Amino acid sequence: MVTNVFVYNSSEAHMKFLQKHPVRLLKFALPKTADVVIIGGGIIGAACAYYLSAAGLSVHLVERHFPASGTSRACDGLILLWDKSGPELALGQESIRLWGQVEEHLEEDFGFERSGTILLAENGEQLQAGEKRAQALRESGQRAEILPAGRLATLEPEISPHLAGGILFPDDLQVDPRRATLALLAAAKRQGVKLQAESEVIDIQHAPGEGGGVRGVVTSQGVIATPRVVCAAGVWSNHIARMVGIDLPTRPRKGHILVTARRPGFIHHPLLEGGYVTTVESAHDARQVALVAEMTTSGKLLLGSSREFCGYDRTVSLSAIQELATRATRFLPGLESTPIIRSYAGLRPWSPDGLPLIGPTRVPGFYLATGHEGAGICLAPVTGRLVTQMITEEARRPEAEVVAPGRCL
Amino acid sequence: MTSTKTELAIIGAGPAGLSAALAAAQAGVSVTVLEEYPRPGGQYLRGVHHNQPLPPLTPAESLGRERLAQLAHPKITTHTGTMVWGLENHTLSLHGPDCPPKVEAKAIIIATGARERVLPFPGWTLPGVMTLGGAQILAKEHGLRPGKRVLIAGSGPLLLAVAAKLAQIPGTNVVGILEATRPGGWMAHAPALAGNTDRLREGWHYLQTFLKKKIPYRFGHGITQAGGEESLEGVKIARLNRQGEPLPGSEDYLKVDTLCLGFGFIPNTALTQVAGCELEYAPTRGGWVPKVNEHFETSQHSIYAAGETCSLDGASAALVKGEIAGLAVARSLGYLTVQDFQEKFLPLKRRLRPLRRFGAMLNTLFTPPVGLNTLIKDDTILCRCEEVTAGEVRAAIQGGATTLSDLKNWTRVGQGPCQGRTCGALLAQQIALETGQNPQDAGYFRSRPPVKPVPLESLA
Ligand SMILES: Cc1cc2nc3c(=O)[nH]c(=O)nc-3n(C[C@H](O)[C@H](O)[C@H](O)COP(=O)(O)OP(=O)(O)OC[C@H]3O[C@@H](n4cnc5c(N)ncnc54)[C@H](O)[C@@H]3O)c2cc1C
Repeated sequence: MVTNVFVYNSSEAHMKFLQKHPVRLLKFALPKTADVVIIGGGIIGAACAYYLSAAGLSVHLVERHFPASGTSRACDGLILLWDKSGPELALGQESIRLWGQVEEHLEEDFGFERSGTILLAENGEQLQAGEKRAQALRESGQRAEILPAGRLATLEPEISPHLAGGILFPDDLQVDPRRATLALLAAAKRQGVKLQAESEVIDIQHAPGEGGGVRGVVTSQGVIATPRVVCAAGVWSNHIARMVGIDLPTRPRKGHILVTARRPGFIHHPLLEGGYVTTVESAHDARQVALVAEMTTSGKLLLGSSREFCGYDRTVSLSAIQELATRATRFLPGLESTPIIRSYAGLRPWSPDGLPLIGPTRVPGFYLATGHEGAGICLAPVTGRLVTQMITEEARRPEAEVVAPGRCL
Repeated sequence: MTSTKTELAIIGAGPAGLSAALAAAQAGVSVTVLEEYPRPGGQYLRGVHHNQPLPPLTPAESLGRERLAQLAHPKITTHTGTMVWGLENHTLSLHGPDCPPKVEAKAIIIATGARERVLPFPGWTLPGVMTLGGAQILAKEHGLRPGKRVLIAGSGPLLLAVAAKLAQIPGTNVVGILEATRPGGWMAHAPALAGNTDRLREGWHYLQTFLKKKIPYRFGHGITQAGGEESLEGVKIARLNRQGEPLPGSEDYLKVDTLCLGFGFIPNTALTQVAGCELEYAPTRGGWVPKVNEHFETSQHSIYAAGETCSLDGASAALVKGEIAGLAVARSLGYLTVQDFQEKFLPLKRRLRPLRRFGAMLNTLFTPPVGLNTLIKDDTILCRCEEVTAGEVRAAIQGGATTLSDLKNWTRVGQGPCQGRTCGALLAQQIALETGQNPQDAGYFRSRPPVKPVPLESLA
């Protein structure tokens, strides 16, 4: 048995790991230090790294596999406001503004498009519900245009003629989430962030007893001494939080997407069916499906998406992709003969009240940045900035209260 | 058509699938055979339906043709032109002009064969440059000659088979065969030759043909460049050192209009993957292959992988492997007693052993030498679907990508219609070369349904 001088609060899992990989201990030779360690190289971790380093902190980001290897490459890239209301809408509006700044600041092209999105209504009832959303959004200062069937057909000729109409939300955006994550990380690296990929967090060291704060992060590549950890490990945040004795109420919510062969110009806006919000808000375990169609920069269409609770399983289920296909042909009949070239599934970090968990916890120095469900791409910049403000400023900001993790821990 | 049920579904009607179907059907099992191509036979038995097919060259080819002729067995239903794109809970999802959308089976034999391994070099996308398989299709299926002056290059025994086949076609001048490997290691493998007289005779027969027709067969030679205005006009060839790197000053120019290339095969494991079968890395079997027991059952209960899908050891072996799998299914469904099964199985097992040893030997001897990768320049396209160059891939590897999944994240390799089937092994090799790690550490591209492109309406 090898003794490890750097570990002073070893969990059982950690000891098991060390027994299994004694060689890795060699790499423990030089302890590193950082002001903040971010766990997770998805879009949320990347945004936190970007804003924390811009504020002058020394930041280490630890990623188990490779940047964007979790949910942030297995999703759509829509930045929507119309599906949000109340405090989430305010966060979304701020995030959209920040995405604009990010786009200006970053050298990398990450498929940023002021595309707007269109909500599709199959009947009068859905159109009315859409109009209500449009009204609410206008009152918050966003634009929205009601599209009668004829106007919808002009904007999107491929849409099935059975639709009652739609609503255009011109302020919504679109990014390529995988490239956006890589771009934010590249910028963070230029600002001095140390990126440790292929390196898994196996324990968090914290002072013993109630109120004992974070002291370091034990990874498969060595220990990093730090007083602060930002847990941005997406659906895997539950495992991380347990290392400091916190049980998260978040759960993985699986979503499937189909990829078509290239059909450039087939649609001109991302399209979402009116029933989408119902599937997001539903608390059912059983699968829900609503059409989300998006054109990528390479001319392929992404056809989503489903929602279901089935643990951490990321395999593609045949029945799910068949439901998606049926849905897609209902709204876009012209796609019938278009080849589907592949499919994938991702896990959304679902939270019980539909709002993310961002901020400090009862363990001093342990911050959460997760629970974004289907809006992690949208809310990434505002999350990164909130986390940064919480760490650098003493005073608590009122807008941070609604997302404070304490509400559901 | 609505979904159907069957006792045994066999995917692929090549030598392994045919043999499995007959063995099971003769024992009484109801069999459904699903074949993607319009006609059964697979690559190996292609073109047999012609009025005047080219004469068989080997005993395996004759036996395969016999089995193909028996496919009209009353217990066998065959759907050709039918692609299997998904497999879940013992149910296959199909796409084709006249097939049911789903087939549910008590047992499944995946005999989807192997695909050709490609190694890019400058000029490899010119018209006139084709794979050995492409040339075979032209010759066997369409009775066409691929060109007038044909050069055959690459590595592996298929070079000989294709050269011999093409030499049968009037008006085709096979100007030479360039084998990239060298015969140095052969003697060490002499024991693997035992029990393989058929295959040695086959090789001998090929060499005789080449002697008679004055076709030179050179070891340790390869192509460094293909050139031509609109299509292939000539190639630069060079001697290669043991590592496969071209020797400076040894270059020569050959005028040819057709270049047929082949560097061995890669097992088609996509359906075994979506079925949840465990894979293992076994270079002597062809790389990533499903784990199987001696009856070719995978880690998934009553899902079998026979033929080249589970190890590359040639058509003779595939005929036996298929038969074993078919018998094993018949036994598991109660059509054969354990004793009857053993009686049939043991001689087959004995027959298979030397064939597999021979196959493993060929896979070892003809592994394309790594030095051939020096021909891949930074502007050479590695992922043809997404047009990603070797330069982009190398930059990603230098940036820290160590697995295929990393590469897919960083560049766009593997995100196109072939899901990385063509470039996967090539990329793993690039990672190995750049980082010094083993090719298996790069993993493989995970197949997900649909394993090949299918129209949206077929999914719906
Ligand atoms: C089908 C689908 C469609 C979606 N569409 C949209 C959309 O249009 N718009 C939108 O805004 N959002 C969308 N989302 C939601 C969005 O994808 C997620 O909210 C977001 O990607 C979550 O990002 P993350 O950084 O929290 O998690 P991830 O991207 O999962 O990142 C977590 C990272 O942590 C790493 N990690 C885990 N454990 C450890 C450990 N122990 N040590 C080190 N690293 C670890 C993981 O490897 C991973 O890279 C969609 C999601 C799905 C599934």
